[in-house]
Amino acid sequence: MNQVQVEQKSYQMPPREGISIAHFLTVANIERSARYYEKVFGARILSLGDGNAPAYLQLANIWMILNVGGGPTPDKPTVTLSVPDPNHINSFMNFRVADIQACYELWKNRGAEFITAPIPKYGEIRCYIRDPDGYIIEVGQSTDLTYG
Amino acid sequence: MSVQIEQKSYAMPPCDGFTITLFITVADINRSADFYEKVFGGRILSRGDSKGASGHIQIANTWLIVNVGGGPTPDKPTVTLSVLADPDRISSFMNIRVADIHACYKLWKSRGAEFITAPIPKYGEIRCYIRDPDGYIIEVGQSTELTYG
Repeated sequence: MNQVQVEQKSYQMPPREGISIAHFLTVANIERSARYYEKVFGARILSLGDGNAPAYLQLANIWMILNVGGGPTPDKPTVTLSVPDPNHINSFMNFRVADIQACYELWKNRGAEFITAPIPKYGEIRCYIRDPDGYIIEVGQSTDLTYG
Repeated sequence: MSVQIEQKSYAMPPCDGFTITLFITVADINRSADFYEKVFGGRILSRGDSKGASGHIQIANTWLIVNVGGGPTPDKPTVTLSVLADPDRISSFMNIRVADIHACYKLWKSRGAEFITAPIPKYGEIRCYIRDPDGYIIEVGQSTELTYG
């Protein structure tokens, strides 16, 4: 059930061998975020956490791990996790889509807040969603790039 | 290149539906592509170009898209992309779940990964963090008693 295959290699969560990549988001409210990704994008909620543990979601080819912020831990003694400054972004999830107009309409209809409608730019058509914590999610359809 | 979950297949670019990638703002596309290739065995699909195209690296079940920062664009008119202003203030990060953390620690360290600490048991898992060339943290974790991770 919780398995991904790339070419001849398969990925599970948790992995039985090798690695499986997830994306961690610091969120203000774990259940709000989990329900949002479930409702808008069809994510599968594997766990909502238990007050200590994070939530786990499976979405398309990745897994998402959601937890509230917090101060340093012994394994990252200088790092603080917090929700983002919505206008100063370093990294984000980038959803590559086959039909951006269809995704725009469907996801908007399910409650996604788009910054703009899709706009042609640099060999692709692109737009951005703000998730409940202000993270941007790029939604892009390539029109002439090879890899994306 | 495609990914399959159950009966559904994911490709890049996608033939239908959508495929999830992670975008990281970097100072040097080539340096980052080389790091993710060398340490994790990522496959460099493109190194971008002088016209602003991003680098693309396929790694395990996802793809990394790397590009330099920049100011607002018409489709995000208030957003500036930059490398981390402060490497100790983080909101989101790549989380690599592994089957054998001690083996990964030794292998990736031997390939040049900078770990903040050796693996430490914590909350039902064993965990450690890598700093990538731009200071992003990458969690490396092996579950010991959790169901999903």
